Amino acid sequence: MARSSTARRLDEDLGGREAKQPAFGGGDPPAPPVWSNAPIGSNAWVAVLMFLGAEAMFFAGLIGAYLVFRLGSPLWPPPFQPRLPVGVTGLNTLILIASAVTMHWSLKAVRASNRQTLIRRLVYTAALGGIFLVIQGFEWLRLIHYGLTVSSSVYGGLFYTLIGFHGLHVFGALIWLLVVLLQARRGRFSKERHVGLQICVMYWTFVVALWPVLYGLVYLY
Amino acid sequence: MCGVSTVLITNPLVHACAVCVTGAGDPTTDAFNWSVLFLMAMPYLVVGSIAGGLFYTYRRTAAKREQAQTAEPPVHLAWNDKESGR
Repeated sequence: MARSSTARRLDEDLGGREAKQPAFGGGDPPAPPVWSNAPIGSNAWVAVLMFLGAEAMFFAGLIGAYLVFRLGSPLWPPPFQPRLPVGVTGLNTLILIASAVTMHWSLKAVRASNRQTLIRRLVYTAALGGIFLVIQGFEWLRLIHYGLTVSSSVYGGLFYTLIGFHGLHVFGALIWLLVVLLQARRGRFSKERHVGLQICVMYWTFVVALWPVLYGLVYLY
Repeated sequence: MCGVSTVLITNPLVHACAVCVTGAGDPTTDAFNWSVLFLMAMPYLVVGSIAGGLFYTYRRTAAKREQAQTAEPPVHLAWNDKESGR
């Protein structure tokens, strides 16, 4: 028999409220779902996103300067300038794009909790990035030998500024990648926590995605 | 105001960039104009890409969380069933 202190009377005045169906064991219906206020991405991810926006504007400024000289000149490339190595650099472009593919595969490996595959793919990415830089450096030495330097002409200054800054970014990304590779070998990354790898992949993707734009503008256009 | 606007619209020299002094018809003028247009568009492109990326990530995360919340419970207990009234 229910106690009068806890049991509701059948004729209780509800004050206009609708009578509730008694639940199993009594009590109110379950509370509505609470939306999670957990962030959708880590702070580092947002920070790198902002940094990449700033980098994009930096290169936009350099491209804008290049456009002024390129479009303002009646003849391009200017006469008596060494011709750029379009074919070799085209192959180099494919090598860099392949490095972005292996870099994204490394993300898949960490999400599958496969540490050995992760390390192997990071090594492939670093190797491809290194090959890109070596070929670029070799081609630059040839251009310098043929007389195209930073101070030889506006053409040379534009070429080395635009392509040089990109090369510097690739070099920085490669250093970062080597640090991430060392961390991966020490077991730093897991399926649940791999923000360090994720932001390195973001930066590498940016550097790789920028290169076809520069190649098309400087070498082909 | 109407007079000033009419003069500005009809005068071809104002098509030249304010910085360069070469006048209309020079390729340098066109080069500057294209460069300025490109640099004007870039901030919108960059901010729009960042905002689009954040929005896409938010929608994907929200969909995953909703899927997790409405997922079938691993064990069917009496109080999970509708007949219990709970």
